Amino acid sequence: MPRFGLKTIAFATMHAVMGALFSTAASAQDYPSKPITLIVPWPAGGSTDISMRAIADSASKVLGQPIVIDNKAGGGGTVGPATMAAAAKPDGYTISQIPITVFRLPLMQEVSWDPAKDFTYIIHLTGYTFGVTTSAESQFKTWKDVVEFAKANPGKVTYATPGAGTSLHIGMEQIAGMSGIKLTQVPFKGGAETNAAVLGQHTMLQADSTGWRPLVDAGKLRLLMVWTGARSPNYPDVPTLKELGYPMVYDSPFGIAGPKGLDPKIVAKLHDAFKKAVEDPAVVATLAKYDMVPNYKNTEDYKKFVVEVTESERKVIETLGLAKK
Amino acid sequence: MNNQTNVKLRLSNSELWGGLIGLALGGFVIWSGMKLKLGTINDPGSGYVLFYTGILMCVFAGAIIVSALTDGAPTLASRWENVRWSKPLLLIACLVAFSVALEPLGFLLSSIPLMLLLLRLIDPVRWTMAIPIAVLAPTGMWWVLKRLLLIQLPSGLFGIG
Amino acid sequence: MDTLVNVAHGFGVALLPINLLYCFIGVFIGTLVGVLPGIGPISAMSLLLPVTLSGTPESGIIMMAGIYYGSMYGGSTTSILVNIPGEAASVVTCIDGHQMAKQGRAGPALGISAFGSFIAGTFALIALMLVAPRLASVAIAFGPAEYFSLMVLGLVVLTFLTQGSMPKALLMACIGVVLGLIGLDSITAQPRLTFGRMELIDGIGLVPVVMGLFGVAEVLLNTEQAIKRDIINTRITHLLPTKEDWKASAGPVGRGTILGFFLGILPGGGAVVASFASYALEKRLSKTPERFGHGAIEGVAGPESANNAAAGGAFIPLMTLGIPPNVVMALLLGAFVIHGLQPGPLLITQNPGLFWGIVASMYIGNVMLLVLNLPMIGMWVQLLKLPYNILFPLIILFTILGVYCSSNNVFDVYVMIAFGIIGYFMRKLGYEPAPLVLAFVLGPMMENNLRKSLILSQGDLWTFVQRPISAVCLTFALVLLIAPLLPSLRKKRELVALDEGA
Repeated sequence: MPRFGLKTIAFATMHAVMGALFSTAASAQDYPSKPITLIVPWPAGGSTDISMRAIADSASKVLGQPIVIDNKAGGGGTVGPATMAAAAKPDGYTISQIPITVFRLPLMQEVSWDPAKDFTYIIHLTGYTFGVTTSAESQFKTWKDVVEFAKANPGKVTYATPGAGTSLHIGMEQIAGMSGIKLTQVPFKGGAETNAAVLGQHTMLQADSTGWRPLVDAGKLRLLMVWTGARSPNYPDVPTLKELGYPMVYDSPFGIAGPKGLDPKIVAKLHDAFKKAVEDPAVVATLAKYDMVPNYKNTEDYKKFVVEVTESERKVIETLGLAKK
Repeated sequence: MNNQTNVKLRLSNSELWGGLIGLALGGFVIWSGMKLKLGTINDPGSGYVLFYTGILMCVFAGAIIVSALTDGAPTLASRWENVRWSKPLLLIACLVAFSVALEPLGFLLSSIPLMLLLLRLIDPVRWTMAIPIAVLAPTGMWWVLKRLLLIQLPSGLFGIG
Repeated sequence: MDTLVNVAHGFGVALLPINLLYCFIGVFIGTLVGVLPGIGPISAMSLLLPVTLSGTPESGIIMMAGIYYGSMYGGSTTSILVNIPGEAASVVTCIDGHQMAKQGRAGPALGISAFGSFIAGTFALIALMLVAPRLASVAIAFGPAEYFSLMVLGLVVLTFLTQGSMPKALLMACIGVVLGLIGLDSITAQPRLTFGRMELIDGIGLVPVVMGLFGVAEVLLNTEQAIKRDIINTRITHLLPTKEDWKASAGPVGRGTILGFFLGILPGGGAVVASFASYALEKRLSKTPERFGHGAIEGVAGPESANNAAAGGAFIPLMTLGIPPNVVMALLLGAFVIHGLQPGPLLITQNPGLFWGIVASMYIGNVMLLVLNLPMIGMWVQLLKLPYNILFPLIILFTILGVYCSSNNVFDVYVMIAFGIIGYFMRKLGYEPAPLVLAFVLGPMMENNLRKSLILSQGDLWTFVQRPISAVCLTFALVLLIAPLLPSLRKKRELVALDEGA
């Protein structure tokens, strides 16, 4: 990549020289000696943000240093990791949540990062429960109503997603393709914004992870379907994609990574701390509020998983005709 | 600004230069906008707003140029008349030197000399005052930030700070 | 009379000694981080979030809220004293606040902003208690089209911020928009205007831009005068606002409060728009608009009240819908969730003790802030007696530290120094920084919402006129734009003003 040109090499050499002069191991041994920044590439207040805050809080107790959450939203959750890949030093003090869009977007358009090379994958944590909601005042009572309306008015049904190229966007397009309807996507920056958009009926539907839960519980939003394999225990009356005749399951798993070239000792420390965190009953309880289930994978398995996901995503994107030209 | 230095079509016309810089920036923004793709009105692309903002910039810069040519404007030199222009220039030089030194030297090693220079340059403070302030202010702040607020300032190649 | 019972219950919770203590710690830290430029409530709150876990949910959230509104109080101090706005909402306070300080009236300026903040904060709380659930709908009535039009209205306000030439101000605003758009596009994730620089992918930070254009440029500009010692030698007459100051400020405080409260409810940008809009409103209503920019106390009282009322209004979407309107509120939401609570439509009914306790504690916190801040005015004014040749280097040191601390990034220090130098030349050529800053904040939101509303309307521009809220915003914007261009109207108004003056 041209951006990592001479300057990077010069820096790397300088680091190596300085490292030789002043004991190398010191930084990895003492790690962490200052607060760690965890980039959450979603706006504050969405389900990812809140669950990551709970996980980070628990992990910081293990690490003995506070973990500061930095919300860098946008680009369907890629702005944060892209910024980290481009600008952060691999010292373990900047890590990022890695949503699935980090692997998917490079297949769809020119991007500034390479998911296979620019990250040091640390640990896989959990996945989401996705669902499609509409305002309680809406004319749509079931998903069938939406399909019928969309057949009569192609392109008139609008849905809010937390960003172009997110699982929600891809999933909705797949659903639309299978039902032979046309829907219009409106990309927002995350759960807090899509909640407001569908509540105010600015968009007809909202496709998002469980940030809608308090509003659904309060009867302000109506949940039309969930994208999990089995029905959600919290909403036993809401059908899954499979039951509606779409043979798919979408859970958009996610984990944590640092910039490339992270010291394996630091990776191990972070891995252990976050593993303890996802096992912490308080964290499990917070995750359960959003219908998220811990889905632990260690560093090695996570790396393999990235390769698999990239492959399966490539197929979907190509079928939908969204692949980059 | 006094009127006797007003000029119209002269290269020293200060307003003209402001307008020209604006026009150049506007042109660049239009070009960037087009490169980023305008998209359609149904689905505006990344360059859509940049393109139109660039056009607006050119319009406003054009208005500035027109009024500079018709109404005239003070010369560039007159803007710095009767002031100690060397002081801000020296300060700018110090700040630039500081920004070059900050990363390699670290916060403490670069800000103490900067403070000393500033204290002596603006209007010389007595050495007996300048040195303690230049040393104590950065060190004190560094200590408060590092110990109390857990904020690590750049420590530089020598790891001081 | 349900509300009264609830309020009484709330005070019962808030007045527990432990909660009083947490409230005090919160407002104290808030005042501190508000005064230090650059270190905002966000960094303080995220660092202290874990600390709040030890106590009850009430104590933790009371402290976090205290930091937030406490920092709103402190934010104006550096704007007034040394022309460095601590955050975007106090940029506008610099314009007249710093002029007042130069005229030796730093005391009244600080005083009126403390009292204005107190009055606005208190009003916002009473409103929060009485109408919070009903106002929730305001927050969601704003969709992309409405936001776009609100941002347009906000940008039109900038025509009131300028004393000089209009094309220059508009050019500055355009540059502000472009600077705001630098970085990855939030809709398509494409890098824009980053010149291949990795640091720019994240965009340019507001703090370095503001500190450079205001703080550093101000110092550069001041050093070229063989100092007239204007700040230092002017005798400081009053520490507190006089009767005349109060008379002039009563209206602005009242109007600023109402404006701020309603704009504060809107997610995103509410407080910033509110402070700028309040300034514009006061300048428009004033019988002597020419005083604005030269130390008019109304120009401090209005915006300062507006941004504190906005801080109160911001609690409404969080508490009633679970939608945080800004990053600070989102941190607060995080605090709720970590304590196992989910803000949303059910919070008030399921946890009345918590909701009313927090509201009551904010009332107590406001009183504490007033008591804490008034004696400090004397101390702040003393600071201005420091000789300028010591004060200026210290200002530079503080801006560097503030910028670095706001992002932990050396690149931001470079950005600040660059903008300091640009700002100096801009001012020499008669270009003002305030329109640039306003457009820098509003521009990206305007762009994003314009694109979303065009996607929603499928390219139909009428959507902005057909939607009532959007149409109202655009009409106001149009009136504001056209009014100064109608000389007959202006003349008439001036005559009226003369009559009334006589």
